[in-house]
Amino acid sequence: MAIADLPIFSMLRTRMAWHQERQRVLAENVANADSAQYRPRDLAPLKFDQALAASQTSQVSLTRTEGAHISAVGAPATKFATQSNGSHEVRPTGNAVSLEDEMMKVASNQMDFQAATALYTRSLALIKTALGKR
Amino acid sequence: MDFLKSMAIAASGLRAQAGRMRVIAENIANADSTPAKAGADPYRRKIMTFRSELDRDLEARTVALGKVRTDSTDFRLKYEPGHPAADATGNVKYPNVNPLVEMTDMREAQRSYEANINIIGATRRMIQRTIDILKA
Repeated sequence: MAIADLPIFSMLRTRMAWHQERQRVLAENVANADSAQYRPRDLAPLKFDQALAASQTSQVSLTRTEGAHISAVGAPATKFATQSNGSHEVRPTGNAVSLEDEMMKVASNQMDFQAATALYTRSLALIKTALGKR
Repeated sequence: MDFLKSMAIAASGLRAQAGRMRVIAENIANADSTPAKAGADPYRRKIMTFRSELDRDLEARTVALGKVRTDSTDFRLKYEPGHPAADATGNVKYPNVNPLVEMTDMREAQRSYEANINIIGATRRMIQRTIDILKA
């Protein structure tokens, strides 16, 4: 059994992938903070049973049979569900991005990611202790 | 790697805001450019437009600069009969640039630019955390 297959590691990996994806969505929101008709999006919060399922199933995706083909992405395809958050303030241009909100989200995303990596490090240390290498 | 995608998206925002800044600078610099010939039109205020486009490689909507449009509002008229560019009635057309509007636009561009820089910084710290796992 590989170390990466331990439930704690695979779940932390799912968590980290979720934060990574969220960072991408937030970057998209901030980059489009001045585009007309743009509505901000966010990832749906990660649920425990979802995370458990994601850590156990393998993903199915299309493969490229030839190097000249472009990869099949129609819309932004993510394995985590995105949702448009009910924004309160829409500017006359139809843009609803609030930079303050996005900055708060980025900060919390960063902190949660840090927590996940710290837990990962700790779990690795636990295994090292069990091996008697400390 | 997804984190690099976040950075690329933020960089597209930086590029767009920098382009907007360039147009604002052009407007402010030309705020008093009078026409060359008598009765001709002076500098017309330019407006930058943004376009959000789907980047297939990044699988995200990045922002790009759209067409530079011109402002169709009327020119400011000043009565200066001695001016070389004055028309038959003695009026000179001045550009339709309002420095106050340009300044607020500039602040907004600056704010968006800083927000994008913030995203890059946050993403960079997250990458650093991931690398720190190796050091454990």
